[in-house]
Formats: sequence, structure tokens, C-alpha cells
Amino acid sequence: MQPQLIRELIALLGPQAVLSAPEDLLLYEYDGSVELGSPRCIVFPTNARDVSEIVRLANRYETPIVGRGAGTGLSGGAIARNGGIVITFSRMNRILEIDAANLRAVVQPGVVNLDLSRAVEHLGLYFAPDPSSQKSCTIGGNVSENSGGPHTLAYGVTVNHVTGLEMVLPDGEIVRIGGKCIESSGYDLCGLFVGSEGTLALVTEITVRLMRKPEAVKTLLAVYDTLDDTTESVVEITVRAITPAACEMLDGFTLRAVEDYVHAGFPKDCAAVLLIEVEGLTEAVEAQAAEITDVCRQNRAREVRAARNNEERNLLWRGRKEAFGAMGRISPMYYVQDGVIPRTRLPETLRRIEEISRKYDLQIGNIFHAGDGNLHPLILFDERDREQFARVVAAGGEIMRHCVAVGGALTGEHGIGMEKNELMSLIFTPDDLALMERVRAEFNPAGRLNPGKVLPMGKACGEIRVPRTPASVTIST
Amino acid sequence: MNRPAQASFTRLEEIIGVAHVVTNGAEITAREVCGARPAVIVKPADAAEIAEILRFAAAERLAVIPTGSGTKLGIGSPPARYDIALDLSRMNRVLAYDPHDLTLGVEPGVRIEDLLRTLAEKKQFVPLVVPFSDRATIGGIVAANSSSPLRHAYGAVRDFCLGMEFVTGEGVQAKSGGRVVKNVTGYDLHKLLIGSLGTLAVITRVNFRTFPMPQAEGTFVASFSSPEAAFKFCGAISHSVLTPQMVEVADPGAGRLIFSGEAAARIIPMQWSVVLSAAGQPSVVERYARELGHMAGAANATNFLPIGDIEQHFVFSRIQEFPRLVLDAAPDSFIFRIGVLPTRMPFLLKELNEVAGQHRAVLATLTRASGIVFAAFVTDAGSTTPTGAIANALKEVFRVCALPENGAQAMLEWGPTEMKTSAEVVWGQSRLDFELMHRVKKSFDPHNVLAPGRFAGGI
Repeated sequence: MQPQLIRELIALLGPQAVLSAPEDLLLYEYDGSVELGSPRCIVFPTNARDVSEIVRLANRYETPIVGRGAGTGLSGGAIARNGGIVITFSRMNRILEIDAANLRAVVQPGVVNLDLSRAVEHLGLYFAPDPSSQKSCTIGGNVSENSGGPHTLAYGVTVNHVTGLEMVLPDGEIVRIGGKCIESSGYDLCGLFVGSEGTLALVTEITVRLMRKPEAVKTLLAVYDTLDDTTESVVEITVRAITPAACEMLDGFTLRAVEDYVHAGFPKDCAAVLLIEVEGLTEAVEAQAAEITDVCRQNRAREVRAARNNEERNLLWRGRKEAFGAMGRISPMYYVQDGVIPRTRLPETLRRIEEISRKYDLQIGNIFHAGDGNLHPLILFDERDREQFARVVAAGGEIMRHCVAVGGALTGEHGIGMEKNELMSLIFTPDDLALMERVRAEFNPAGRLNPGKVLPMGKACGEIRVPRTPASVTIST
Repeated sequence: MNRPAQASFTRLEEIIGVAHVVTNGAEITAREVCGARPAVIVKPADAAEIAEILRFAAAERLAVIPTGSGTKLGIGSPPARYDIALDLSRMNRVLAYDPHDLTLGVEPGVRIEDLLRTLAEKKQFVPLVVPFSDRATIGGIVAANSSSPLRHAYGAVRDFCLGMEFVTGEGVQAKSGGRVVKNVTGYDLHKLLIGSLGTLAVITRVNFRTFPMPQAEGTFVASFSSPEAAFKFCGAISHSVLTPQMVEVADPGAGRLIFSGEAAARIIPMQWSVVLSAAGQPSVVERYARELGHMAGAANATNFLPIGDIEQHFVFSRIQEFPRLVLDAAPDSFIFRIGVLPTRMPFLLKELNEVAGQHRAVLATLTRASGIVFAAFVTDAGSTTPTGAIANALKEVFRVCALPENGAQAMLEWGPTEMKTSAEVVWGQSRLDFELMHRVKKSFDPHNVLAPGRFAGGI
């Protein structure tokens, strides 16, 4: 016989909206990270009232609740760390309103990021945050993690594109904050809740800004023979205050893996490439592209070429966005990091990563948002090799410490989750963390909402979490 | 009010030195908040001193209001208690400026005028074209979330502030965010401090990203005979590929204030004026001149005027100082700040005009086309409108804004103290999210030390 909690959930939502068989639960044990956790059941609400009732039920049973979008997150945000109920928003996937005149859309949390841009494409509009997983990740997940993407450089992360939220609080109350207008009176609650990684409330409706597509886009590929010339070019672009819409870097190792898979046109014999995009009015785009080409050539780029048409442009971007997937072809597993550094420290940081790679005898690929200093070192490993995995964790920790030492941050867009929560003390003092803890306790007093995330759990500090058994999964980001 | 005794002054002097504690004279009057005067002004030098002052205040149940140059102490509802003015003007250093990384860290007492001068040396700026530009400090600008016409292109403080350090109401030094341009590490607590009017924490450092100065700028004024035509023009711009850095709509009331003076003699103040500014390389600015002119014509503009450097500087500064222009002309005016959707602007302005008409006030509005209306109800010095009638008019404004079809959110930024009899007068009727704001307040300032009563919902 089913346990009482499951029976009550079925009574509430219907049998089609509750999963509790062990084989079904397996699919929800992991996300895009290397973490694992076993939920007790999965529920599929269709509206905010459902969510509220589920939360009230969970409270009666004193069971943890974890919100989940598409499960593409890279820091374990959607993992049921302490078990409990996973609320999956895949059936709340309707675009409720498109208000083109005011450049707004109102969506349910389960709407897939790219689906929104597609739905407004005919109006010449799009939704700016563009994580590499945008074909599958949901806007609810973007809100939780405050996700970014390549074009963050020019347009900001998710929080810069959210004006209002409807949420269910951990006591089951449904509240609205902000609205459709560009500003609301009172404290900026959207600023707090966006990026709170599902630890303060469950978001059930999101009002976002839409942006108008630019008149012209130019995508440049600059090819280099040394890593230093590549990073110096990025520094110089920043120093000259040229503001491309995106400035991505792929090192030689990574682009060779990508090229074999995507055939994007990256020269396989080079040390690194920069993928740079400029957008805006035709006149501005031409001038910026010329200036960027000039900077790259001065820094000894072997070749700088522009995508000649949309097809070429899309292919280059496919090479960037499917790079993580390409890694799956050459390594059983990889661990991706998300540190941020001041952009002027890029050359020394990449040299440091090379040293760390040699020191721990690990293959580390670099593919990242160079323009805003957001690194994504990919450390390749085989999860069956426990000794190697210990080196992976140590190398990851050392890269993270370097980022912090040069004035950077632990995560630029993936979130803290359960991966880096014990590292928070590298950046924050006990007093900083106590205040964050207090804010969490004020909204989530029983700690039932997404427990074990964002903030450190114990007094021990400064360790990346070592998963007991990393999941063997194909990760697409 | 629970006035601090001599013993309190002595303790404050011990903390920061006799020279930095003021208990009488004109300085005290200058720190008045809605008629309430502090017993003492303290001028700390750093976050550690602020922490000690706040711990003392919390223990003694004294109320503290942080202040920079004091230009915006009139904003908000009247404080329930006010003992200590925490003057941050000594904390006026630029702590870190990395022009190559386009990032910046400053203390709260830095004046925006000085900061912009420092950044200009490296051909950079922060997009804070805000009122009281000759005196306003970074701390005050952030705490009041002062609005800049450049918001149209650069966003508001929340969009380019990277992190903050601050001292909570319990005297605990804390921080959130960081110094890098992209960062989602931990809760973004600093976003809560933007516009909090000093009710949550005392800001001790603000990190911003900086922006390169454009090669060229062009400013244009298009005149229209009706609000519908003016807003139709704005809508056409927002649906074109053009992205001006500023689009402001002045109604005839605001026009008379903004365009008075020789420098603006060519502009017709009696009409609805749309003031636009475009930035970029010269060929881009030329294209704006061309296309905006065509679009203005298509929207039946009566005039479209590219304006020169001198006029441009004048008009910019007038728009920037709009609240000050109103208050200088008529100190007893009421100025609402209203967040509204672009398509609702002409309707809302019409309804506000009716409210003004019924209560014999003159309406002057300056609208940021991206979605903020500054609506000034200008009243004559000798106005005999009874207090009750004014109170009704203020309520009407909130009612009109809150109509479902308008969906606008208002706050009364400026108004005579005697009319601010409760938090509702300034912030409107209680909303469901006010309860969440109380929870935020409780986390930062559980003993209600910081600016009690000055914020929404009586916070």
C-alpha cells in the first residue's frame, strides 16, 4: 500500500500527476551537475493553487520540497538533497500573455527559454538571457539560478529582465511582487528572489522584459597560435571600452573536440579562438567590427573572419553552445566550473589553469564567456577512477581559490547550489553568511524549501563537495 | 521623542572623537527629516565606527537616519523617531577604480559630481544623471534610487551596481555581490538597499561597473500638440531598431519649467515636448537625426529641432533637476513618482490632469518613456485649498494608479511635511507584498534602529 503522503498527493492532483515508483524516481535523482539525491516522489502541478496545496501538505508531513524545471542546472539546485517532494514545473508551461506594445511577456515557470524567443520572433522580439541550455532549460529555472549566457555581456543576467513574480511561499501563501511596470515602490523584492535558487519561494508566474532584435549582427572568429595572444586580445577589447554583445573563448583542446562533432569551421591546429559578436545599428556594427578586427590582428591573431551569412553564424554558435555535449564524446565525465575574475586578470588566470592542469595531471578544457571574465574550465575525468576524481576535486578547488584571490567570485551564472555552498566562506565572512541565513530563515523558517543549498551547512569551510558516487550521465548544457 | 541624555553624547564622542559629534547649530536644522530634528549629528570615518554607533543606538533604543549631503531627506514618510543623524560625508574616497576592467568601488559620501569628474579623465562615466547633481552623494543616490533619464539605455542602479558593503541595524558589517561584472554568488542582499531610504542598513561601499563615454551625442526636441501624438512617437521609437539613450516627455506644465531661459528660446514650451538623446559614433548620431526627424513628422510633430551643445547642456540639466525646478518654483508642490506601462501613459496623464483640475492644482509631468512618470501637482504659495481637499487629491492619485487597467505603482516623493500624516499618504494603501518587506526589515534591523517609519507599510 502507498504511504499516506503519496495517497494524499494523488487525491490532490490525480494519479497522472504523481510519480513514486523507484524506476520513475531514478530519472529525478540528478540534474546537469555531478550531484545526486533521491526524492520520495515527483509531482506535476498545473497552477499556483496546486503548488500551494502541495506545500501545505508537505508542511503537515514535515517533508522537504524542491522545485525543478528541466533539470539542466549545473550546481545541483534541483536535487532533492534531503529527499522529499520534487515539484516539477513541466506542466506549467504556458505563455500567458505577450504584450508586445509594452515589451513584456507573462509566462509560467515551465516555459522553455528558447520557446519564448520563438513565440515572439514574428514580432521582431526576443528574450535576452541565453544560457547554452536554452533549448531545454526553463524560465523558472533561469529565475531561480539567475542564469546568464553569452549575451549577458551586453544585456545582463536574468534579474535584469524580470519585472514581476508570482510565488508560493513556504507556508503555502501565494503572493505577487513587482509587476509589469519597470519599477515598483518599496524594496526590490524581485532583486532578492531572482537568484535565490529556490530557497525562499517557489515561483509560479514570471513577468519578463522582451527586447527588440537588433538591425545588424556581425559574428567574428579570431584564430590564435598562442593562448596569451588570445587573452591579451580580450583585455585590450575591454580596455578600449569596445562593447561587443558577446565575446567567447574556446581553447585548442576544446575546439578540436567540438570541431570533430559539430564541424563549425574552427581550425583544428590553433591554440584558441575568440567568437565575438557585435550588434546594433548597421553603422555601429561595422565600425565596432573593424575596431575589434584591428585589436585581434595587433595581438597576432592568425586570422580574423566574419560569418558571411546566418548559416555560418548559426554554425559558429552551435560550435559554442554544443561544446559541452562534444566533451561527452572524448571523456566519460567532466566537471565544469563557473568562477569569475576581473577581466584584466585573464592572461595570468589561464596560465594558472594550465599549471594546475599539469600539477594534477588532468586534462582541462577552457570554453567560456571571456568578455565578462566568467570562466568555465572543464576538468575531464573517469568516474570509475576514484584516485583521479580526488585530483579533480583538488584542482577545482585550486582554480576557485585563484579566482577569489584575484578579486573574483565563485559563480557567474550557474549558482551555488549544493556544489559550492561549503565554499561560500572563501568570499563571505561569518557575519555576511549569518545575514543571508537570517533572510532565508525569515522566508523559509523550517528550512523545508530546497534544504542544503546556497549557504554552508556546517562550520567546516572551504571545500568543494565531493559526491560519493558521481552519476554517469550525459550532460548537455 | 526619547532624547539622548548627555551620557549618550559622551559615549558617541568616545566612539568617533569630539570633533565629529555636533549637537547644535544650523547643521542640526539642515538634517531635519519631515520636521523632525536629530539631537545629535555624528560623522564617522569608517564602517567600524558606524558599527559601533549602531550597536550603541540599538542598545539605547535610539533611532538613526543615515545622510550624505541631505538633499533627499524629504523623501519618504515622517520618521516615527529620530535621534541621531549619521552623516557620511567624511567617507568620501574612491576606494578602487580599475578603468581597464571598467569597475569601481566608492564610499557613500563621494559626491556624484566629483566621481563623474574622476571618471571623465579616463573617458568613462556612470549613468547617474540625477537631481541635486552639485551635492548628491553616491550613498544618497543609491538609498533613494534616484532616477536618471539615461535609464532608457543603461538601466537603473540595480542594473549596474555590482555589490555593496554595509552595516546592519544591529551594527554588523556585512556585504553581498562583489566587484566583478557577472556574479550570482549568494543572495543579492544589496539590491534590497537600493531605494530603501536607509531603513535596512548603512551603505559603506558601493561597487559599480563604469561605461565608456560615447564618441558623439546628439539631442533633439520634437514638439506635439497632443499627448497622444507625443506618446505615439515614443511608441514608434520603441518599436524601431533605434535605441536612444534618453526619451523624455514633458507636458506643457513641465515644458514651461524646463525650457525657460535663453538657451532654450527656440523650443515651444506650450506644447508636448519629446526630448531625445542619441549616442555613438558620428555616423550613428547622424542617422538618429535623420530617422527621428522622419518619425516625428509621421507622428504629426509640429516641430523637430536638433539642438546644439549649449542648449543640450542646458536642457539636460533642466531635465535632470526637474524635481528641484518644481520645488524651487513652488515649495509646497507634490511630486509623485509613478511606474507605469508605456501604453497606459496618455490615459494615466489624462486622469491625473482631471485630479489636478478638481483640486485647483496645475499638473506638470516629466515622463521617462521607458516607464516612469514624475507627476508634480504645483500649488501656489498663497493657495487656499483646504487640507482635506488636498488629502483627497493625494488619495485619488493612488486610486487612479491602482486601477487594474493602469496597473501603475506610485509613491509620493516630495510634498509638504504637514500633509504627510501617515505612511499611506506617501506609499499608498497597504499591499500584500508589504508583509514581505517587513520580513526583510526584521532580518536587517530587528530593533528598528534605522529610519523607523520612513518606508512603505510603516517600516
